[in-house]
Amino acid sequence: MNSTDKPILEVRDLKVEFDTYGGTVQAVRGVHFALAKGKTLAIVGESGCGKSVTVQSLMGLIPSPPGRITSGSVRLNGREILGLSPKEANQVRGKQIGMIFQDPMTSLNPTMTLGRQITETIRVHDGVSDAEARKRAIELLEQVQIPEARTRVDQYPFQFSGGMRQRVMIAMSIACNPEILIADEPTTALDVTIQAQILDLLKTIQRDRRMSMILITHDLGVVARMADDVAVMYAGQIVEYGGVQQIFHRSAHPYTVGLRSAMPQNDEAQSKMLKPIEGSPPDLFDPPKGCAYFDRCPHAMKVCAARNPPLWDVQEDHLSRCWIHHKFATSSTEVFRSNRMGQEWEIQK
Amino acid sequence: MLKYILTRLLSGILTVYFIATVTFAAMHLVPGDPITGNKATSPEIRANLERKYGLDRPVLVQYGIYLKNMVNGDFGISFTQQNRSVNDIIRSHFPISATLGIASILFATFGGIFFGALTGISRKKIYDRSIMFGVILAISVPSFVFAAVSQFFMTELNQKAGTTLLPVGGWGGLSHMILPAIVLGLGTLAFLTRLMRSSLLEVVNQDYIRTARAKGLSPTRIFFSHQLRNAVLPVITVLGPAIAAITTGGFVVESVFAIPGLGRYFVQAVQQLDYTVIMGLTVFYGAFLVFMVITVDIAYGLIDPRIKVSARSA
Amino acid sequence: MLKSTTAHSETNSRFQKTMEVDPLIQDLTLQDFFQASREVSKQKISRPSLSYWKDAWLRLQRNRQAITSLGIIAGLTVFTLAGPLAWRLDPAFQDLTRISEPPTFAKSVLVLGEPEPFQELVSSEVPATPQLDAAATLKAPGLLQITGNPTTQSVRLQWSPSEGASGYVVYRSEEGPPGEDYLGVPIAEIEGGNRLSYEDRFNLEARRYHYAVTAKNGAESAGFSAIETTLAPAIRVADARKLTPDAEPGTRMTLPAHPLGTDYLGRDLLARLMEGARVSLFIGFVAPLLAMMIGILIGGVSGFAGGKVDHWLMRMTDFVLALPFLLFMILFKVAFGAGAGESGISAMLLAMVILSWTGSARLVRGQVLQLRDSEFVQASRLLGASWVYLLLRHLLPNTMGVILVSLTFAIPSAIFTEAFLSFIGMGVAPPTPSWGSMCNDGIQTFLTHPHEFLFPALFISMAVLAFNLLGDGLRDALDPKMRSVQ
Repeated sequence: MNSTDKPILEVRDLKVEFDTYGGTVQAVRGVHFALAKGKTLAIVGESGCGKSVTVQSLMGLIPSPPGRITSGSVRLNGREILGLSPKEANQVRGKQIGMIFQDPMTSLNPTMTLGRQITETIRVHDGVSDAEARKRAIELLEQVQIPEARTRVDQYPFQFSGGMRQRVMIAMSIACNPEILIADEPTTALDVTIQAQILDLLKTIQRDRRMSMILITHDLGVVARMADDVAVMYAGQIVEYGGVQQIFHRSAHPYTVGLRSAMPQNDEAQSKMLKPIEGSPPDLFDPPKGCAYFDRCPHAMKVCAARNPPLWDVQEDHLSRCWIHHKFATSSTEVFRSNRMGQEWEIQK
Repeated sequence: MLKYILTRLLSGILTVYFIATVTFAAMHLVPGDPITGNKATSPEIRANLERKYGLDRPVLVQYGIYLKNMVNGDFGISFTQQNRSVNDIIRSHFPISATLGIASILFATFGGIFFGALTGISRKKIYDRSIMFGVILAISVPSFVFAAVSQFFMTELNQKAGTTLLPVGGWGGLSHMILPAIVLGLGTLAFLTRLMRSSLLEVVNQDYIRTARAKGLSPTRIFFSHQLRNAVLPVITVLGPAIAAITTGGFVVESVFAIPGLGRYFVQAVQQLDYTVIMGLTVFYGAFLVFMVITVDIAYGLIDPRIKVSARSA
Repeated sequence: MLKSTTAHSETNSRFQKTMEVDPLIQDLTLQDFFQASREVSKQKISRPSLSYWKDAWLRLQRNRQAITSLGIIAGLTVFTLAGPLAWRLDPAFQDLTRISEPPTFAKSVLVLGEPEPFQELVSSEVPATPQLDAAATLKAPGLLQITGNPTTQSVRLQWSPSEGASGYVVYRSEEGPPGEDYLGVPIAEIEGGNRLSYEDRFNLEARRYHYAVTAKNGAESAGFSAIETTLAPAIRVADARKLTPDAEPGTRMTLPAHPLGTDYLGRDLLARLMEGARVSLFIGFVAPLLAMMIGILIGGVSGFAGGKVDHWLMRMTDFVLALPFLLFMILFKVAFGAGAGESGISAMLLAMVILSWTGSARLVRGQVLQLRDSEFVQASRLLGASWVYLLLRHLLPNTMGVILVSLTFAIPSAIFTEAFLSFIGMGVAPPTPSWGSMCNDGIQTFLTHPHEFLFPALFISMAVLAFNLLGDGLRDALDPKMRSVQ
């Protein structure tokens, strides 16, 4: 994160809960981050860590009930967008923030032509004529490299392959030239070969339009390829936050280290055995008092069970939520010794 | 699409043939020969019947004659009603049944979609609860009960008002149709309401609805252009069986309301064991229903792009 | 609780410095940063595991509608099976003296001997057809009185003649005493000014009546004479002996209660409803059960065998499915007929089974196909499980749920079908009652005696409603997808 740029999107202390059959789930437990103009922020974490819920609550897409945003602030260009009236919120969605979802097979209306699904957005937000909107829809389809866009525009989703549909989703989400594009696991449901194409497309479009992007993924390979900044989420909180170089090469949090060792790396041909992270994330019906990673952490200390660690500024613009950065902590792990220089860092409320 | 329609029609014809055969076989199972039984008293009628059905010939020949008549659209003659032909009966009574049936199916379909949508989108539990209670009641109470009770209350109302607000029986203008059409359509309406509700609830949770919300569409727009259309599709697929339900339901409702429709006539024929009429009308009804189902299927194909396009390319 | 396992001594020097810099974490001590021992189990299972059926049962219990329905069904079963033991009236007994009675309690009545024939009082003092004096105003007959004991069998009226009358009109009113504007319903017109009595036997009930009589000669007299009487319930000895053979005239006897009234032949409606329940519920249970068994067999064979067998069995299913159900129920019912003295129950069962096995056959076939290709069955097969084992251990338990649910929905529709057919006179043959045929009987007199129609209709509706709600509940309880939803 570059502190000189004024962030386009600022999220502070976001908390989201869900009422379910078994009780209340605290899905997001105080998330802070900022998105700089023209940059890509990747939010990484395993399933159920709250990354999708985080971005869906930015968009006001949390179904309510059962969902509920209990606290927090989301500022888009300095303007608070949580708690907007439904009408105002609709002007933000699609117009200022575009969104792509994980499963392109189900995210498009099966009984409506693609053309109409795209023009619908354009007409609602920009109030242009039908013909004009259609022209723009065809241009958009060409931009996302759909061949024969002129005929394809009148076809239905089931006539497209998964990768093609995801291109259409992208075209739809950028139809009104949003400042921010949120991509929620855009390649998870696709074949590996298609994944690269879609990622390249996203990158090109982002560069051409100088868009900011939030990319949700559990794939560190995608992160390395796409991101400028990375936020690692675990059990509803950001546990490490920093530039992509720092996250990959100077990982400060034991969870990030664990993720990296669980990731296959093709440049290390002699590659070591992959090391899975033992155990599973805590039950968010009743989140632990201390660090959520305590049960799985190889460096767990007594304090970890008792208190949730604050975010430490381990380097410039590199935060980590771990007690290991405390001066008292004397880990046997050399990796952490170097980072353990810290000043405590908390975002001002 | 044409190929699809032709295939459906062909299978429909095959089904009608099967229905006719089962009907023929069933009628020949009747202990003793129904046609030569004591019902057909007049020698003139009997002679006519024997000529028509070849009763003195072997069963297979009779079957052939029967099929030939059916193919020519000749459904036979009554043997309790002075040689009246079944075609004649259909011509004079079916239009009445059809009018009533169309009124009912329109009432049931639009009512079902409306109430189903209401329960499906309403945030207030009380609407959902009360409509669903009404639905389960309408499904559980036989139509003849609704018919009798509505007649009873309408009679009382008419008496209170001192004039005939709505006639409780007979056939005439539009006013004669209202009460029986409602009673006849009620069960189907309930069934469709239920289907529409569950279909809408399923659609509401689909990913593409989330996409539509992410596009910044208003809830009204999302409802009309994304939810309603997708939710109505399954409702259309069951219109075939719904038409069947209303047609057979007409047997009872027409009898209770004294409407001179084909249904009432069929019930009378059944009660009088007028075998030839039963046979003819069964095949007629069977063919009618089969082709209604096909019509609905084809109409559905025209509405759902997934079928329309794949059928075109097939 | 934290427990230290290792001592760290080398960091002591930095200890004080940090305390000064970081006031927020002042209360932390070095001890806190000792390595934690984790005896805590790593994975906690948040809910105890339950077997499929137990879980389903628990969820069904939470569904108030379904449990109420289960109660109603249990109640109906008791009503049908144990009812006749408690309510011992003969459902076939026709009490022609009590036709279409609304619900009544038991009542005590007088047993009357054979009635003395009514001797009409004919006066010789007045002429039968007097010359009409136009000027003379017709006076009311005098002194209307009742002779003998007024009972529900007969009321005998007698009055004194009116001068100049050529006849009399007798009125009866169940409402208030007769006045100038309303005398009651005219029940008799008597021709002859000398005939001075009348016996009323028409539809008498044990209640208060007002009688009035006017004279007439061309026009009716303005005046009338009236009398009020309360009738004693009574029964003729011949009728009484049908109930209790040793009834004697002059004694009192208790007539049985009809808590739901009687029908058009004076049969007890409650007893007939119990008898009818047997027929309706028998068909309701047995027809779906048989159809389901055939369906399971055909669907199972079809799914297991696959190939040609599957193809032809499914073709057959399609054809049977294409027969319009109610239409062919009627046709088959006509074809199978009911010989003299038969109830027609078996004909109806047969027709219903022939036409309704298809649904479950398709259902079972689909389940079998789906399960046959499922990973756990393939794994089991790889491990060398025999097909009997597969059937018993995997396929049956996994299809039981859907089969049970579809059976629960098939019962109300069978009850419905029976009612429908019986209502149009194609059901069970009289005198065997079923709820549907009772409705058919009752609707003829619905406007005058609604109870004869409403009670059987209520039972049909209640039974169908209960099974439908139970089916809904079962489906929700057995569907694993519904677990997370409230």
